[in-house]
Amino acid sequence: MPVQVLRDRSRATVQKVVLGATKEQGGTRSHTIVVGGDAALPFHHFEGEVSRPVIAMEVQDIVPDWPDVLKDPFNDVINEPGRWAQKCVAAYGADLIYLKLDGADPEGANRPVDQCVATVKEVLQAVGVPLIVVGCGDVEKDHDVLEAVAEAAAGENLLLGNAEQDNYKSLTAACMVHKHNIIARSPLDINICKQLNILINEMNLGLDHIVIDPSIGGLGYGIEYAYSIMERIRLGALQGDKMLSMPVICTVGYEAWRAKEAVAPVSEYPGWGKEVERGILWEAVTATALLQAGAHILLMRHPEAVAKVKENIDQLMVNNAY
Amino acid sequence: MNQCTVTFLPANTTVKVTAGTTVLEAAQKAGLPLKSTCGGAGTCGRCIIKVRRGEVQVKGGHLPAKLKEDGYTLACQTIIQGDVAIEIPAESLLSKHQVLLQDKGRLQDGLTDLLGSYPLEAACEVVTLHLAEPTLTENTSDTSRLLAALRKEKGVEGQVSLALLQDLPESLRQAGWQVDVTLARADNRLLRVTPAGSGRSFGLAIDLGTTTVVVSLLDLRNGRRIGQGGSYNRQAVYGDDVISRIIHATSNHGGLEELRQAALATINEISNSLLANHGINQAEVTAAVIAGNTTMSHLLLGVNPKYIRLQPYIPAATEWPALTAGEIGLAINPLATVQVFPSVASYVGGDIVAGALFTRLARGEELTLFIDIGTNGEMVLGNKDWLIACACSAGPAFEGSGITCGMRAMEGAVEGVTIDPETCEVELEVIGGGRPAGLCGSGLIDCLAKLRRAGIIDRTGNFQEVATPRLRRTDEGYEFVLAWAAESSHGKDIVITAADIKNLIRSKGAVFAGIQSLLKTVSLELEAVDRIIIAGGFGNYLHVPNAVEIGLLPDLPAEKYVFAGNTSLKGAELALLSRPAWEEALELGRKMTYLELSAGNLFMEEFVSALFLPHTRLELFPSVTTGTSLERREG
Repeated sequence: MPVQVLRDRSRATVQKVVLGATKEQGGTRSHTIVVGGDAALPFHHFEGEVSRPVIAMEVQDIVPDWPDVLKDPFNDVINEPGRWAQKCVAAYGADLIYLKLDGADPEGANRPVDQCVATVKEVLQAVGVPLIVVGCGDVEKDHDVLEAVAEAAAGENLLLGNAEQDNYKSLTAACMVHKHNIIARSPLDINICKQLNILINEMNLGLDHIVIDPSIGGLGYGIEYAYSIMERIRLGALQGDKMLSMPVICTVGYEAWRAKEAVAPVSEYPGWGKEVERGILWEAVTATALLQAGAHILLMRHPEAVAKVKENIDQLMVNNAY
Repeated sequence: MNQCTVTFLPANTTVKVTAGTTVLEAAQKAGLPLKSTCGGAGTCGRCIIKVRRGEVQVKGGHLPAKLKEDGYTLACQTIIQGDVAIEIPAESLLSKHQVLLQDKGRLQDGLTDLLGSYPLEAACEVVTLHLAEPTLTENTSDTSRLLAALRKEKGVEGQVSLALLQDLPESLRQAGWQVDVTLARADNRLLRVTPAGSGRSFGLAIDLGTTTVVVSLLDLRNGRRIGQGGSYNRQAVYGDDVISRIIHATSNHGGLEELRQAALATINEISNSLLANHGINQAEVTAAVIAGNTTMSHLLLGVNPKYIRLQPYIPAATEWPALTAGEIGLAINPLATVQVFPSVASYVGGDIVAGALFTRLARGEELTLFIDIGTNGEMVLGNKDWLIACACSAGPAFEGSGITCGMRAMEGAVEGVTIDPETCEVELEVIGGGRPAGLCGSGLIDCLAKLRRAGIIDRTGNFQEVATPRLRRTDEGYEFVLAWAAESSHGKDIVITAADIKNLIRSKGAVFAGIQSLLKTVSLELEAVDRIIIAGGFGNYLHVPNAVEIGLLPDLPAEKYVFAGNTSLKGAELALLSRPAWEEALELGRKMTYLELSAGNLFMEEFVSALFLPHTRLELFPSVTTGTSLERREG
């Protein structure tokens, strides 16, 4: 007897968000990248269109406090964000650059706003791929920095972050005025995730300009919570919940390299194997698990982890329709 | 022990207490009960007093710096060490205040409405008996003579108690053997023997609420309501909600007895004044029906309420034995029958059963949702075939409690708010038309809706930076001034704070989550509900569209909403006047399925998604969100 395979047809699709703008579109990017648009659960090609997840490699404006294993591949460029970005694109095939302006942190380097803006411009000039720019996490400073970045990069159609429930207005306004996209970040909470999207949308920023950062946990640090939240977001989107229909971005590199298992030296834990392999695998496995949960943009750090995940994406994008 | 004389000003009342007593306790003893939401824990800041003279020790407590500077302290934290004079500001007094007696609602008073198709068969009846005077040959005892006459007249076997017997010989003879016998319908107990023609019989219907107590006096012979009275529940000095009362009852030695006495004192005071006003003797009141929540019933009857509060929340009983007034301490005829409404569970009590009875929840085909929003939010869903009930800890925010400028719906309470979105100017509607003193539930709901509409708060309830002097920052966050000191009745600004708004959103979220939980448990959609009955004083001033706009009540057509007023009291009246109704109430209590919301995740999930204005699932509130350009904005 032939097996009748049931297919779920979705009522709606994930919102498409376009990142970057070419010259004709008012920017300077060599191409744009579209994320989202899925009409099925992750990699269910047999049920509908599946969008290709993309990888944004992380670049920082100051030399980051990363373990040596992670800094090694970038040693020659780590002082110059532009060249660092270039290397990520040219040598490691990054789809996008994720520029984190940690140098702005008043508790840290406390770089002035114009220096932050200059870094953004430097990176924009160095690469042709679209850019994701986020602040240092200090609410007041980010307010100033991101507003200046938004203005200086007007037309580039950046993805700017992070908007949070208690602090979304100024960034939303900046994105509207200067035509950028926004990262709406919620603390692993489906309700706050949706509420934040409503709040941002009610300020009149279109749903196709919002990307969800649901907050994730790295492998071994609550990744299953992230998985279930992301699953609910995707199911909501496919069932027609407009306020959950945005593409999802995941801070993979940050979470994976926070894990003790990723960075603890082999001298302390001889049984765990070489830390260089461990960290890469920790990041790659975190990323691949989240791909299955419905991630659209992976924010990653180590080139080898990126290579492994790209390979995995290639395999997953082979059409399994029948 | 050192005796101290405490003089309270401006009342100029003195009382003697031992050193070490708190001012709060002394004031209670002096008959000047103070507000004490936290039950004397020093956290609510309501029992503010000023020591004029004498030695005290102040423990601390939560009090704004401004008041501290002005020399105020908290009565519960102020310990008397010697002879003192204490000034009590008027706002600290637990004043006897207006309690909802009149309903604006659709289900109006009046006997016909109350009884409907139930027969008038009151808890007691008066039977006139003509006894033959005893002779040397007709020499049966007084009791046998009386019972024989009763048997002959009514065909029932009367029950005689010792107390009645003790006076019977004189009663019969003074009446010249022509007597009126008051008889309890439930068990044919003889309650009273009086000369023929003088046997009046009255009954009390009592709504024993956590916050207020209302007593209705009825003439049991014709079912007419003679009068009503209400007052604050005197237990309020031991805390505002049932939880703090239970804690007081179970952790303080003698606490349960104090609470029992406080409840009794409240009821007896109201009923005594009612009786005096209408020239009725206590002895003539021969029946009482009491409807209260489960905790109140326990406390009134002196039953240990400890396990109501502790998981898995088990009450001592849901049905109470037939009682007499004497054994529980009601100041009416000691033999009077007392019926206490059955409960469903620890947090769905006799008040809800009474409400279900009065509103005929179990009599119709139509699917009805009964909601009582008070100190707790209780609700019942169902029709004549099934009933399911739950209680959600909504908190007393809609009763004005726990809100900076909150108050109950009484004169001076703001019941309506208008805010100009351009200028942020405010117009207030005040009950009674005078100057505002605070906000009651309906005013709070209106305020929330209007703040949101004017863009002063966003959908999460956070204040937005709007340029108006009314919005200001304090140490505790933002607050919005609704009335300036010069406009209010007490010369202080009336404000709503960021914390108040969060509190209200939690309360409304809990109520709505309760409704959703009930519906989901029986797999029904909101649209299936034919009728929503709002019970409690809260409903009388409530503006449904505002309550829908903030997501407190479901977005259903206004014509499906019915206000029923104090259904607990009306249910008690009905049960007092009609024995079949009382039997139905017993049946109702057994029939309702109780949904324990703390079991499982259902309620919590619903609650969290309801913490938004109106709701995270905007599609549940089409009338609030249509017209908003959500769809259009996507383009």
